Amino acid sequence: MLEIIYRYPDLSLFLALMVIGYSCGTIAEKRHYKSIIKREQELVKLMVVNAEGRFAEGAVRTSFLVNGSTVVSNDYFKRLLAILRNIFGGRVKAYESLIDRARREAILRMKEEARTRGAHMIVNLRLETSTIGRSANKKNSIGSIETLAYGTAVVMNRP
Amino acid sequence: MKFTPKHIEGNVNVSKTHPLAELGWLVGGLVLLALIFYLSLGVSTDIAVAKIPVSAEVWLGEHFIGRMDALENESLQRLLQPLLDSLPADSPLHEYRFQAQVVENEQINALALPGGHIVVFSGLLKQAESENEVAMVLAHELGHYAHRDHLRRLGRGLGLTVAAIILFGQDSAASDLASKFFLVSESHYSREQESAADRFGLELLVAGYGHAGGATDFFARVGKDAGSRIPYLLASHPHPDDRVRELQELIAARGYRVDAVIPLGQDLRKGLPLSKESPDKEPASWQTGKLHGFEALITRRFKVRPYNQKKFCLPKRH
Repeated sequence: MLEIIYRYPDLSLFLALMVIGYSCGTIAEKRHYKSIIKREQELVKLMVVNAEGRFAEGAVRTSFLVNGSTVVSNDYFKRLLAILRNIFGGRVKAYESLIDRARREAILRMKEEARTRGAHMIVNLRLETSTIGRSANKKNSIGSIETLAYGTAVVMNRP
Repeated sequence: MKFTPKHIEGNVNVSKTHPLAELGWLVGGLVLLALIFYLSLGVSTDIAVAKIPVSAEVWLGEHFIGRMDALENESLQRLLQPLLDSLPADSPLHEYRFQAQVVENEQINALALPGGHIVVFSGLLKQAESENEVAMVLAHELGHYAHRDHLRRLGRGLGLTVAAIILFGQDSAASDLASKFFLVSESHYSREQESAADRFGLELLVAGYGHAGGATDFFARVGKDAGSRIPYLLASHPHPDDRVRELQELIAARGYRVDAVIPLGQDLRKGLPLSKESPDKEPASWQTGKLHGFEALITRRFKVRPYNQKKFCLPKRH
């Protein structure tokens, strides 16, 4: 066993990274989803729409920009799946959960900011996604995605 | 419009497929593709190899390896000659102009390079005891030429490496892994090729020397150092002990005589005057590394890291 590791150091490293990537990635994802669902249920009453808000005169007390952003990292296992997908084509299923988590987390953070500042709703929601860390370490880069959610928080003139 | 807060169960944005299942399908597909490619490459190489004339092979050898006329070793050539003389008249080997060379290298090995260059490493000569034994090694290499194994190996190794690079790109981790895998599996002749060359070598040795003395000596000595059989289960080379057994069975079956061997001359044992001719010349990778000729060329040409090159090594202390 040790001899094999000694003879093929990079192959063993590759396998170790795969195992770590899969196990840690799966645990992290499960925990993240659990927390996302819990917080979404807590914040479900705060309305978020991506429509432009139109309000009657005097209905709005104040409005301000809120945003939430999050960065989620890829792991070696997902990257391997994506590389293999690049050969055959089709949906890169491994990355779907990554994007989904980042998007929902960003919206949640934005909503949290709006709630602490006393907003009643968020209009004009926009989402932006970008990759980071790809050019930092060219050859064996493990990229991350950043999702930014921003919108206009509105505080109503309610009694 | 009334806003009704409602938490949505389930998730349409993420596929339900288990990642390990997906990995299984993708890797399975890749292995299947590689297998089909490998088999078709094998078949087409076998067809092509039978049709390649010796003159084209000589040109190929010179093109790839460069001219090595100056390196010809007379003492070794003297051992080769009786073997060549005893070849049957219709043997295709007569078309080659064989050149036996000694290369200074501690490895106990010999190579058959395209174009009739037989390279024997000095490590082999240092521990060899008889002329018959070295002649057996030369005859074994002649067997590779007779079966054109060296060309078969070239075709597959080259094809697979090029395919891996085209598929994944030169620098990607996947191509690194794939080429490593292919080069590992292609770095030696197959067990069948080795055994066939052994049989050919034995017949030639008996034809040249009149008896089978010394035929098994080399493998027997290597077998003592080879140790456990377990690594050889996966290796492409048969275990030396198995080769000795096969050869002995063949000797018994054919009823070959086993006579006394001729001790190896001092000229061959130590005689490496030609390596001193160009001490400042940098030795080629195939001379220094553990790699066989063409893998070294391929790896150098395509900048693939050879599989057995140590990636991490401690600095030398003086």
